[in-house]
Amino acid sequence: MNIIKVDGLSFGYSEVEVLRKLSFEVESSSFLAVAGPNGAGKSTLIRLLCRELRPKSGSIRIDSAAIESYTARDLARKVAVVRQEFVPVFGFTVTEVVAMARSPYLDTFAFESRTDREIIAEALEMTETAKFASRTLSQLSGGERQRVFIARALAQDTPVILLDEPTSFLDLKHQVGIYDLLKKMQLEKGKTIVVVTHDINLAGRYCDQCLLIGGADGEKNCFIGKPEDVLAPERIERIFDVKVAVGKAGRKKIIIPLGKFADSVTDTDADLTSTE
Amino acid sequence: MRKWWWLVLIIFCWVGVGFALLAADAGNSRRMTTSSTGADAIVSMAPNLTEILFALGLGDNIVGVSTGSDYPPEAAKKKTIGNFWQPDIEAIIAVRPDLVITLGFSRQKNLAERLNRIDYRTLSVNIDKVDDLFAAIEKIGRATGARKAAGQLATDIREKLDKLSILMAGRKKVRLLYVIQREPLRVAGRDTFVNEMIELAGGENAIGHTVQKYPPIGAEQVIACGADVIIEPAMGTADLAQQRRSAVEFYSRFANVPAVINSRVYIIEPDTVSRLGPRLYEAIETIARCIRPELFNE
Amino acid sequence: MKELLTVKKLTARIAVAIVLLVLVMCVCSLVGTQRISLSAVFAGGHSQQTVNTDYEIFVHVRLPRILLACVVGAALAYAGVVFQGLLRNPLADPYILGISSGAGLGVMIAVMSGYSWTLWGRSPITVFAFAGALLTVWLVWLIGRFTGRANMTGLLLAGVVVNAFFSAVIMFLTSVVKSDQLHSTIFWLMGNMTEESFFVLWVCGGCVLAGIVVLFCISGRLNLISLGEDEATSMGVNTVRTRTIAFAAAAGITAIAVSLSGLIGFVGLIVPHGVRLIFGPDHRQLLPLSAITGSAMLVIADTFARVVVAPAQLPVGVVTAITGGPIFLLLLTRYARKSGLLNK
Repeated sequence: MNIIKVDGLSFGYSEVEVLRKLSFEVESSSFLAVAGPNGAGKSTLIRLLCRELRPKSGSIRIDSAAIESYTARDLARKVAVVRQEFVPVFGFTVTEVVAMARSPYLDTFAFESRTDREIIAEALEMTETAKFASRTLSQLSGGERQRVFIARALAQDTPVILLDEPTSFLDLKHQVGIYDLLKKMQLEKGKTIVVVTHDINLAGRYCDQCLLIGGADGEKNCFIGKPEDVLAPERIERIFDVKVAVGKAGRKKIIIPLGKFADSVTDTDADLTSTE
Repeated sequence: MRKWWWLVLIIFCWVGVGFALLAADAGNSRRMTTSSTGADAIVSMAPNLTEILFALGLGDNIVGVSTGSDYPPEAAKKKTIGNFWQPDIEAIIAVRPDLVITLGFSRQKNLAERLNRIDYRTLSVNIDKVDDLFAAIEKIGRATGARKAAGQLATDIREKLDKLSILMAGRKKVRLLYVIQREPLRVAGRDTFVNEMIELAGGENAIGHTVQKYPPIGAEQVIACGADVIIEPAMGTADLAQQRRSAVEFYSRFANVPAVINSRVYIIEPDTVSRLGPRLYEAIETIARCIRPELFNE
Repeated sequence: MKELLTVKKLTARIAVAIVLLVLVMCVCSLVGTQRISLSAVFAGGHSQQTVNTDYEIFVHVRLPRILLACVVGAALAYAGVVFQGLLRNPLADPYILGISSGAGLGVMIAVMSGYSWTLWGRSPITVFAFAGALLTVWLVWLIGRFTGRANMTGLLLAGVVVNAFFSAVIMFLTSVVKSDQLHSTIFWLMGNMTEESFFVLWVCGGCVLAGIVVLFCISGRLNLISLGEDEATSMGVNTVRTRTIAFAAAAGITAIAVSLSGLIGFVGLIVPHGVRLIFGPDHRQLLPLSAITGSAMLVIADTFARVVVAPAQLPVGVVTAITGGPIFLLLLTRYARKSGLLNK
């Protein structure tokens, strides 16, 4: 069953066209990674999928209904978004920020019920942010804040979670921790995860499908499929315009970009063993 | 559906109470039935009003005056109930007046309105011009049951004014500049009661028509106006002679003005001239003494 | 989870605040240039031949002023909270979108027209101020919409521009108007409490209360909007509709407050800050507590204004401005220390 169906999607900011006739489907309870060079339209795609932007042409269907047909509230019960972390102007505590995610389920006078509190507590536990639940966001580090925003998306209890570069400020432990958490959400709770990321290696290890957007001017392309097919080294080199070296960690491939001043590495020199 | 019924009910009750209050306000008229002749407890909101009341022989009936009511000396002993611009409505109520007399400009008219709303009898009179003064005296006389005294007072003042105008008849009008402030230089314009006093005293305002009543003027205009006489009201209680010396020094910069050339710069006592009241004749005479001193040296 | 707000906690806090407010009102009603005694007040209006001045003063001067201060203080503080949340700007106050200069211009026009007509026996200044305030807000809203529907910065800029322009017009008119008209305009601009009839208090109080209730209903959504525009949308808030309602309601209660008592500053800026500093930014709590604190603050300020330079009466706007500055500085240093901006 396809929970997200994109058909012929085109979008541009004034004259600059960013996405052209993009079509793909995301199966329910799957993990999709979206990769591509800067400016390819990855964040734009996320914004289109949560209806922050309206497409120039084409259609988006969420759970078999056109995205325009949802009220804001109903859409919020289907799709949660995790954007770049920021410090809000007012000093909301971590708990208050995460609690806001329950808003689509509250009525006019908006007081959280016991179920709501349990969901909030669970979200805090899972992202390991419970220990600073009563601190304000300005008192946290960027990485900790990012986890709070992810906790908020979890508390929103939606079948689809969209994430725009969620691990950019996280340390190694938490990078892997977040992907583990997202995978757990997918496998145990049946959520559909769509992640925009620059880290193609990490994404490639976790996702079921990969969507690669990009291409030289006049040649907007998108490739969707299994990560090992989509993230082929030659294609990476062409789309990202960079030389890469390929290695292996366990059964999965690793792709490393090569710069001018790094040591030159060839396939035969690579002898990477994983700690799995 | 139930929610809407509650809302309608609440609005209905609110409107109902509103109407009840409106009716209560309207039906509240205790003191308005007092007879309009005679007043035993009068409050005066301006110094010139106080003077008028005393001149009408009603000094004993006054229970409250505004600060600055210093003439006659008995007035200074009365209870003060706020000043000219800032009346203290609580103090006014506390002295239990049955008539409050105010001037007509907006701050005091506003006070009168507030007092009317809580059913106190008020009388507002405009005293901007000399004619207003006579009208005010008559109005106050009527409201306080002192009609005869009012008529008498008005006649007295008019007689003295007539005598003065006979004295001044046929003489050339003296050009006079009445300066109320030095920095920046502000004078009394044509649309003021000072101007009327000047004309009744046999003078003519050296300044032509201006938009503002007390316009600030520049040095050019001072030189161009060709004033024969410059008059300034004294400031505070400082020595008059000292003030005159400093005035002469100040105006010496306008060396081409006839008033400066002929050394006709005068400082006068401000009490009578600064307010339009029963001492109108005394005020005009003060000015006349500056204009034609030779006529007053008996 | 003890940080989250519950109905019980909120009701308890509101109840305590109301009790404190009533206490403040009682104390302040006995303070004034004249000493009055409660027993004399209760003796009633006109039982004997002589007038009971204690009763007169209490019922006709003190009580209406205090009730008016409650209504105006609540309206200004409440609107301040809403505007700060909507604009995501802690420096916003209820006048930021042109209401002050619009009302001021309305008053100047009323004064200059040499009004002689009355509405229900009162001068048209109130009506002109109200109309001026609302028309200006509407103008700012229109201009702001040109810069984009979801753009709060555009609205702020439009407000600044309109405020500046109207203030210039007011300054121009001030220089040509007659002196006593000038004085009454300036006096009005400084903010005053006068004795209104109970009918007027009831009507205006009711309208302000209606605005308060409407805004309280959307307080949860205000929380989300004050976090971030995109965040609010993706959590299910129809931001355009919520903003329009909040804006209109807050502008409406501010216009009522301003038309009744002139431009009283600082209440709409400081009270939200202070309450937020103590109780946090959750609007479900911030709104009612700010309203009650605003009422109390203005009642106390008006009492000061009445007695501090007796027999003259200070305009209450002067008192709030003079005390507002230092209090704001205090709040600012506390806030800076709290968020670690000052050196430890």
